Amino acid sequence: MQTPLQALVRSQSFGAVIGVVLMLAVFSIVDFSGWWRSQTLANVAHFSAILGLVAMGQALVIITKEIDLSVGSVYGLTGVAFITFEPQYGVGGAIILALLIAALVGAVQGLLVVKGKLPSMIVTLGGLFAARGLIYVWTGGSVNNFSQAARINPLTRLFGGELFGIEAAIFWMIGLCIALNIMLWGTRFGNRLLATGGAQDSAESRGVRSDHVKIATFTLCALLAGFAGIVTLADKPQTHVTLGDLMELEAIAAAVIGGCLLSGGRGSLVGAVLGAFIITSFRYELIALGAPSSWFITFVGVVLIVAVIFNQSLARRAGHSV
Amino acid sequence: MTFKGWILAATALATTALTATLPDAAMAQDGEKLRFVVVSHIGSNDPNMNWLTMAMEEFGKKYPDVEAEYISTNNYSIQEHVRLLEQAIATRPDGIAVPIVSPDAFEGPLRRAIESGIPVVAFNIADGRPEGERIPYVTYVGGDELLTGRKLGEYALSQVEAGVVPAPTRVVCASHDSAHEGLKKRCAGMREVMEASGAKFDELFIGAEPATARNTLQSYLSANTDTNYIFTVAGWSAPWAWGVANEMGLSPDVDMEGVTVLTVDEGPVSIEGVRQGHVLATNSQGFWLQGYAPLEWLYWNVKHGYAPQQDILTGPIIITKENADKWSDLVRSVFGEEAYNQQNTW
Repeated sequence: MQTPLQALVRSQSFGAVIGVVLMLAVFSIVDFSGWWRSQTLANVAHFSAILGLVAMGQALVIITKEIDLSVGSVYGLTGVAFITFEPQYGVGGAIILALLIAALVGAVQGLLVVKGKLPSMIVTLGGLFAARGLIYVWTGGSVNNFSQAARINPLTRLFGGELFGIEAAIFWMIGLCIALNIMLWGTRFGNRLLATGGAQDSAESRGVRSDHVKIATFTLCALLAGFAGIVTLADKPQTHVTLGDLMELEAIAAAVIGGCLLSGGRGSLVGAVLGAFIITSFRYELIALGAPSSWFITFVGVVLIVAVIFNQSLARRAGHSV
Repeated sequence: MTFKGWILAATALATTALTATLPDAAMAQDGEKLRFVVVSHIGSNDPNMNWLTMAMEEFGKKYPDVEAEYISTNNYSIQEHVRLLEQAIATRPDGIAVPIVSPDAFEGPLRRAIESGIPVVAFNIADGRPEGERIPYVTYVGGDELLTGRKLGEYALSQVEAGVVPAPTRVVCASHDSAHEGLKKRCAGMREVMEASGAKFDELFIGAEPATARNTLQSYLSANTDTNYIFTVAGWSAPWAWGVANEMGLSPDVDMEGVTVLTVDEGPVSIEGVRQGHVLATNSQGFWLQGYAPLEWLYWNVKHGYAPQQDILTGPIIITKENADKWSDLVRSVFGEEAYNQQNTW
C-alpha cells in the first residue's frame, strides 16, 4: 500500500509539482508582497486556466504519441467564429457552431494522421497555417465587435463571467480537468488512449482501434482549444486576428513541463495545468521584477529543457522506456 | 486625301495630343505595361491594409498602363518580409515600394535591386539612418514615426496644462513587435517628450496575442503603480490596455484621475476610442496617400526620371476630441458604415 507521499512521488505530474513548489518558494523570497497579492494571484490563475484548457488537450494528444501544432490557430478560429456568428445565430448558436468548426478541424487532422499515415507534426503544422489563414480571409484583418446585448447574455456570463469574484474560466478548467482525469484513468476509452501511446502494436493486437482513439483525441484536443477561445472572448471580446498566436508552443511547453513525454504513453492532465501555471507565473513575475518581457521566451526554453531531463529521469525510475 | 485618310490622320493627331497632355493615358514606351510591386508588412492581419489596397485601385484607374501588385506578410516576421522582398526582386519588376521595417535586414536585397536598375520607393517606414548611410531609394513616402510619438506626447502635455488630464509620472509604451523599427521610433518620440517633462518611461513588449498582452500589461501595471500613461503603438491594442487598467480600478478614461491612454492610427477603434472618451488622442499617418503616392513617384521616376529632393511626409496628423467627428465621417466614407461599426470593438 502506497502512502500519499509515495503516490505523489511516483505520479507523472511530480516534476511539475516540484517545479511549482520551487517557483513559489523563489517568488516568496524575492517578491513576497508583490506575488501574494490577490490581484496577482487572480490574474495568474485566470490566464493559467485558459492556457491550461489548451494544454490539457495537447497532453492527451502527446500521450497518444502525436502532437498538435494547430491548437493556437484553432483557439483563434473558434473565438473569431463565436464573435462573427453571434449576430446571426445568437450566443448559444454561435457557441455550438464555433465548437463544431473546432471539432471538424480536429477530426480532419486526426483522419489525415491515421488514414493518410502522415506525421502529426506536418499535418497539424498545415492546420496551424490553414486555420490562421482562414481567420485572415474571413475577417479581413479586424474581428467584429461583440454587441452590448451579447455581452450581458446569461450564456456569455456563464462562460466569461465571475462567480464569488473568481473568473468563470477557472471553474471551467477545474471542472474539465476532473472530468478528463476520470475519462483518462477511469474509463475504457482512457485506458485505450494510454495503451495507444504506450505500445500501439501491443494495444492493436488486443483489439484496440488506435486509429479511432487518435481521431477522437485530436477532436477532443481541438474542442478544448476552441472552448478556451470561447471562454476567453466571452470574458473579453475585444480581440484581434492574432488571437492564439504562438499559443501552441506555450501549450506544448506546459504539457511537457507537466510530465508528458513525447515518446507517448505517459503524461498528466494535472501536470499540464501546473505547467501552464508555471509558464504564466513566470511571465507575470519576470515583468513584475523589471526584466524585459522578451526574457520570458528564454526562460521557457530553459525550463523546458530542465523539465524534459527531470521527467525522463522520473520515467526511467518508474520503469518507462524513453 | 481620302475620307478614310482624314479619319486616320485625325485619330492619330487626337491620340498624340491626349498622350502628351494626360499622364493617365500614357503607355509604357515598349507598349507593355509597367509592373510595380508593393512588398508590405501590412497584411490581411491588419485592417490598415484596406487603405493601401483601395488607394492602389485608384492608382490603377489613373494609370492603366501600370500593373501594381500588393504582397504582404501576415505575421510580424522580418524574415518572412525579407523572403517576400527577395522573391519580388527576382521577378524583375519595374519598381518596388517597400517599408523599411529593418534597415539591416533590408539593406542587402534592396541595394542589389537598386544597383540592377529597379527603382525603390520606401513607404510607411523610412530608413532612419543619416542621408549618406541609408539605402539609396528614390524617396520615402509616409509618416515620421519619431514625430508621431513626439507630437502625441506634446499634445498630451498641452492637455495637462489645460487641466484635462493629470501630469505624467510614469509612461509605458506597449508594443506588439519588438523588432519593428517604426514602433520603436514611436516609443522613442514619446520617451523624448515625456522624460523631458520629468516622467519615467518604459518600453514593454506585450506581444500581439490578446490574452498574453493583457497578462503582460497587468503584471507591469501591478509592479509599477506610479504608471499613469499607456501609449499603445497599435490602435487595436488600445482597448486591451484600457480594459486592463479599468479592471484594475485605474480609471483609464480621459479625465483628471488615474490612467490616460494614447494610441495611433485612424482606424475605427482608435477614432471611436477618442470620441467615447477612452483615449486622449490618436494619429493619422495618411495611409491612403501611402498606398497611392509611392506608386505615382515610381511611375514618374521610371517615365521621366523624377526624384524628389527630400522625403514626403504624409503624417502625423493628431486626432483629438475636437476633430474626431470629422475623421469618423471620413473613415466611414472609405470603409463603409457597416464595416466601421463592426470594427469598433469598444
